[in-house]
Amino acid sequence: MDPVIELDGLEVRFGNRPILNKLKASLTGRSIGLLGPNGAGKSTLINALLGFHKPSAGTARIFGRDIRTHAREVRSLIGYMPENDAFIASMSGVRSVRLMAELAGLPPEHALERAHEAFFYVGLGEVRYRPVGTYSLGMKQMAKLAQAIAHGPKLLFLDEPTNGLDPPARTRMIQLIQEIRNRGDLHLILSSHLLRDVEECCDQVLILKDGNVAAFCNLEEERRANKRFLEIETRGGVNGDFLGAIEQLGCETATGGQGRIKLILPDGLEVRQLYEIAARQDVQIRRLSHKRDSLEDIFLKAMESADGRL
Amino acid sequence: MSDNLITFTNVSRFYGEVLGINNVSLSVPPGITSLVGPNGSGKTTLMNLMTGLIHPTEGEIRVLGIPPDHPERLCRVLGYCAQFDAFPKGITGYQFIYSFLRMYGKSDAECDQRTRASLEMVGLTQAADRPVAAYSKGMRQRVKLAQATAHNPRVVVLDEPLNGLDPLARSEAIAIFRQWGGEGRHVLVSSHILHEVDQISDQVILLSQGYVVAEGQIQGVRSEVKEQPMQIQVRCDKPSLLAARLFQQDHVVEAKLSPDGKGLLLRTRDADSFYLLLNRVILDSALEVESVAPADDDVNSVYHYLIGEGSSV
Amino acid sequence: MAVYKKTYRPYEGALTPSWSRFVVIPRYAFEDLHKSRFLTIFYIASFLYPLISALLIYVQHNASALGIVGARGANQLIDVNVVFFLNFLGWQSMLGLFLASFIGPGQISPDVANNALSLYMARPFSRLEYVLGKMSVLAVLLSLMTWVPGLLLFGLKGYFAGSQWMSDHWQYASGVFLGAWIWILIVSLLALALSAWVKWKPAAGGLMFGVFFVAAAFGAIINAVQRTNWGSLFNVGYLVGSVWVQLFEGSNQTSTGAVFFRSPADNALPLWCSWFGLAALCGVCLYMLARKIRGAEVVR
Repeated sequence: MDPVIELDGLEVRFGNRPILNKLKASLTGRSIGLLGPNGAGKSTLINALLGFHKPSAGTARIFGRDIRTHAREVRSLIGYMPENDAFIASMSGVRSVRLMAELAGLPPEHALERAHEAFFYVGLGEVRYRPVGTYSLGMKQMAKLAQAIAHGPKLLFLDEPTNGLDPPARTRMIQLIQEIRNRGDLHLILSSHLLRDVEECCDQVLILKDGNVAAFCNLEEERRANKRFLEIETRGGVNGDFLGAIEQLGCETATGGQGRIKLILPDGLEVRQLYEIAARQDVQIRRLSHKRDSLEDIFLKAMESADGRL
Repeated sequence: MSDNLITFTNVSRFYGEVLGINNVSLSVPPGITSLVGPNGSGKTTLMNLMTGLIHPTEGEIRVLGIPPDHPERLCRVLGYCAQFDAFPKGITGYQFIYSFLRMYGKSDAECDQRTRASLEMVGLTQAADRPVAAYSKGMRQRVKLAQATAHNPRVVVLDEPLNGLDPLARSEAIAIFRQWGGEGRHVLVSSHILHEVDQISDQVILLSQGYVVAEGQIQGVRSEVKEQPMQIQVRCDKPSLLAARLFQQDHVVEAKLSPDGKGLLLRTRDADSFYLLLNRVILDSALEVESVAPADDDVNSVYHYLIGEGSSV
Repeated sequence: MAVYKKTYRPYEGALTPSWSRFVVIPRYAFEDLHKSRFLTIFYIASFLYPLISALLIYVQHNASALGIVGARGANQLIDVNVVFFLNFLGWQSMLGLFLASFIGPGQISPDVANNALSLYMARPFSRLEYVLGKMSVLAVLLSLMTWVPGLLLFGLKGYFAGSQWMSDHWQYASGVFLGAWIWILIVSLLALALSAWVKWKPAAGGLMFGVFFVAAAFGAIINAVQRTNWGSLFNVGYLVGSVWVQLFEGSNQTSTGAVFFRSPADNALPLWCSWFGLAALCGVCLYMLARKIRGAEVVR
């Protein structure tokens, strides 16, 4: 599949300080997560791809166009939702999105149509005529998403989209992002500190540390593997009996609090045998799931490698 | 007895006509308590009342027996980490913690030692002598945490402490909160990230539009929401068979087969009976179970039932 | 029957040509400016002087033609010469400064206040186009106040006086045109630079006056105290006036500059200093703009 973004030895410096060190990666998924500790260079990478910082060496290609020589063309294909507040306080929602869409090249009438559509799509239909300065935090986030999609880009950069949102607004934002990903014609780069957001919305994950690529993995493949790791939550029964019984069957176990047990089924052992024990001891298995090598483990492993180099 | 609790008795706080919180009564034990609610529901008001930054319009508050309008006693046992950054201009990380510690009247040597211990706990020892203004967002969050706890308070009030922290720093901070909770301190955390709230809290307080909607331990809260039967999701190879067996019971209210034919979403008024029944069905019918999960036994669902879509987008 | 759901659809239509995108900015700005009644009235009022000037030209021409006063008498009434045009330019330019100090501060500061610049720059749109777009708002309004009526007056006089007069006095036309443009450039750059750096609009507007009047007073003090002429470098009015005199009269100066833009011949600085001073002012403004108009702030 043609790569959406190709990093080809991209290096960015501020003065003499290197921020990104010759990054090399080829990102092809529908939805790519960007993770990393503070100061790893995530925002700098996004800013460099948008053309806000000039690379000191190397380059990158988005949909095959070089960001150094075809910056303008690249930007016409991109929608950007910044992490910080970004709005014009005195303009109404529709008007500011229309302005931004026109600057991206849309003719005025089409821009107006699509501004309205974008507002309805993100759920702000009711408030689109109000000045953006009067919006609540959640509304401002949605308005940022609206301006990012109004001109019909092929690639969306979402920088901490759920920042500061309360739970219902978070759920709505995640749902919207998943909907956009599932369409297939709009690719996403999602940068977030919340691993769960990335887990729910992304197919591939790029992890940066100290300006280097610390890990790059495909979540889809990770999810398909590892049927032998289980997480269960028990209730009832006598303390420790259940645990002791399954250990006798040969499982390696680790307990969390409140009846939670992580275990590895040895080959040849079936889940039903766990249930046999539970039935015998009158223990409820309230939760049973196959643990995949979750993103948290991948992330922690990536952080441990000494110089963050892949 | 009340020396161990933070109590609110019929507390109301209004800002002119605007409601902050209305007639709230709470009793917070030691351990990690999470404050959950939409923006504008009264979480920050509650925290400010607790720390004595504002006074209630009505009602009485006691923190470990101390009323908040006695800051000389209260501030020795309480530490507060606010949501928004507010630092004196030009100050370094070390100075920030040290100078506020000195206000407790401790000697220079002791303040120095406590400051360094605090900085080490949050991992800012190397950056301690740089100005806070040059810190990244995560570092600023950590220095605020360090400052709030440098004087070893028994009560720690944290307003969205994980905001802006990367996953590693998050789990480190959560480990610290767990440690404090285990030591018997009162740790009050407000957060929007409900799955984290689930993971770390011992109790939870749900607020909506200035009212306390629920409080207590999660499972306890959930079982109190009696209008909503428990939802459980089961993924297995013969869901219809399971459904048939379930409908023979009278505690099962609803069973919905999932579109891909490999799962069942059911609602029951008696979760305990269901689980024991499930054990037997699996053995009797040789059912192959892929996963079992309560679909609403967490803060997220309780939030959804009690608070719903909240006040605004 | 069909059921339609509001959903996202990709854009497949035509795009506007790339070079004309910066015109979007003045379009929106003009729509916004329309809404202020004060500005509209002020703007209309600023055409009073040109109107009176046109009337004077007409009266002068017709008075001599009608033999009411005689040709020499008509010329004593009002002489349509260098001073006439210079004063016209000076007066309208000062009104232009007023207008710019009302309109200018609101051009860039709303975009900088809440970080909207990163949205502008994330589009196929450059900093240069942004600044050009914002400048053109002021440029269009100021042009309509200064050289457009100026050239029309020149044409009117030429229509009455004949094409010989026009070719004899072509310097009036070029002086009005170029002089106005120099002024427009300085005022718009200054207004935009202040708008980008100063958040509070009244302060930005006040600073614009400050640059002209306060700096001029400062220059005068230097001149008086040091008994020199170099203080006039701070007097933007003087610098502009001297440049205008050169454009209108070449090297034989007979006038003393324009009203508000006095450039007395006696204590003059060499002309290249004036040009240099104005260029330096523009350079400083451009530098200020370049520092503020960015997609992303670089923190070292």
